[in-house]
Amino acid sequence: MELEMIRKQIDAIDTKIRKLFNDRMEQALLAGKCKTKVEDRQREAEIFEKLGNNPYTLLDGDFLTELYEKILAKSKEWQSRSPLLIAFQGEHGAYSEVAARSWNPKCVSLPCKEFSDVFEGVKKGVYDFGIVPVENNLGGIVSQVNDLMIHTELYVVGAIEIPVKHCLVACPQTDYREIREVYSHAQALAQCRNFLSRNHLLPVPFYDTAGAAKMLSEKGATNAAAISSELAAQLYGLQVIKESIEDFASNRTRFLVLSNQQNPEPGSKCSAVFSTEHKSGTLFAVLQQYAQAGLNLTRIESIPNQKGSYAFFLDFLGSIEDPAVQNVVEISKQITTGFRVLGCYEEKVL
Amino acid sequence: MMQQLKLVRPTGKTRSIRVGNTTIGDELTVIAGPCSVENEKQTMQTAIAVKEAGANILRGGAFKPRTSPYAFQGLGLQGLQILQKAGKETGLPVVTEVVDPRDVSWVCEFADMVQIGARNMQNFSLLKEVGKAGKPVLLKRGMYSTLAEWLNCAEYILAEGNPNVVLCERGIRTFETYTRNTLDLAMVPCVHAETHLPVFVDPSHGTGKRALVEPMIYAAIAAGVDGLVVEVHVDPEHALSDAQQQLSPDEFGRIMQRARKLERFVRQTWDE
Repeated sequence: MELEMIRKQIDAIDTKIRKLFNDRMEQALLAGKCKTKVEDRQREAEIFEKLGNNPYTLLDGDFLTELYEKILAKSKEWQSRSPLLIAFQGEHGAYSEVAARSWNPKCVSLPCKEFSDVFEGVKKGVYDFGIVPVENNLGGIVSQVNDLMIHTELYVVGAIEIPVKHCLVACPQTDYREIREVYSHAQALAQCRNFLSRNHLLPVPFYDTAGAAKMLSEKGATNAAAISSELAAQLYGLQVIKESIEDFASNRTRFLVLSNQQNPEPGSKCSAVFSTEHKSGTLFAVLQQYAQAGLNLTRIESIPNQKGSYAFFLDFLGSIEDPAVQNVVEISKQITTGFRVLGCYEEKVL
Repeated sequence: MMQQLKLVRPTGKTRSIRVGNTTIGDELTVIAGPCSVENEKQTMQTAIAVKEAGANILRGGAFKPRTSPYAFQGLGLQGLQILQKAGKETGLPVVTEVVDPRDVSWVCEFADMVQIGARNMQNFSLLKEVGKAGKPVLLKRGMYSTLAEWLNCAEYILAEGNPNVVLCERGIRTFETYTRNTLDLAMVPCVHAETHLPVFVDPSHGTGKRALVEPMIYAAIAAGVDGLVVEVHVDPEHALSDAQQQLSPDEFGRIMQRARKLERFVRQTWDE
């Protein structure tokens, strides 16, 4: 019995070690973006020197040196390969990361604290792409993202719509009968309200779904659970008690993929943003162009901009290489203020 | 005792009860599957086999109330997860037993129907919980219970606002020891006479002997049963529980073909 408990502790520590190794690799990748040459002998010497005077009795210098030789070799390997980086907001395991991995499994997804960090990092070229949620069919638009989209200089180069499958997750040693509190983002808690009430569970709002999973894992809490993605459960070594606990089966979020360069590939969908003068019929005149050209609008959103003014987001099916689309875009520019095609891209729907 | 019954009384028609994508109370419903969910492979293989043989609902125990505390007690939560997965992949609704009032809401999250086992028939706090939970209930007859006691237990569930109760005769204790229990088939017409609820028969527990399952299935159909509960295991010899009474998928498939034929015959003959 005691051995079993110790082994559970070891498993939990191993999960943390893997997480830290991964965090270190991520930092190495970011460092790679800042240097001109992969190998930096001086920096390596510094690292090994620090290993020499370590206070841990069970870790001798030889062991640590061997370990770090391997770590540094792997870091340099990643830096030389220089994979495409995609930034998302939230902790690892966030639904944005689920979307990022589904959009392009070859990209390495890196977390950012705020949406503005994603926009900023992509603009500066730290990340090749950024992925941000624009709307959820139950929760509506993600206003912070849409606000940033109005003024951004970035291009939309892709889009993906994914089903949001909430899981009830907990530490491996947790007995589901002992669960009292459930931590998650307020929106996830709201989307699982019936499930929580049926099972007499107390919802506790937290800043992030994956953040809640991470917190449980770090605390080793046994009387609490979190609502997160299955990916978060895997990343933080948690058990999935129940999959798909959302009250409504159809819970979908649409994400846009941003880049500081235009999409080099041909696309079949366009996104645009514009404003109109405060005069009768100005918006109608714009929309009329699309109707006459037979272009199907898939999204129309109005967002309050500056005082008394609105920004309109327009998505439509069509390629920017199509002369009919180019013609409508030209007319739109003349009859609106600040009309900008955000991008032409392919949209994935899972 | 019989006079105190209110909600279970006959209404002139047997109640139709929706369980997942199937309806109990119209045609013969067959619930089949292993006694216990032992692991994913065994459950999945059995689920596929019983689906092919024409079963309508998948059964499997995750919480096993065993006579001995040292016997296999079931996989618990993991068992529920496996059973739900097997149900989803085969398109069969699932039924599983609940033994603890604290587990009722959780079991309802994973199952389309919950079973109250014979040993818990008069566990009134458990009956109240499943009455509140709202999922259809398969109420087995206690092995020492009279018809009146059994129907009063159904009354408990209906009184909590859950009208979807299916009764299941599974044999009672008598002085006969040749069979595990004495299957009381007379209960089929008795339940129909005294209630509007569907009644099933479980010939696996009712006899405890593989060879007796087949004839008792036919007898139950002739008696007008609404459904059957049959234990089927991909490898009965190595089952962790009830090894003596579980059918192999082949045996079950062969019996099912004849059972469906007999059901059609009985139906047509009665309609004439």
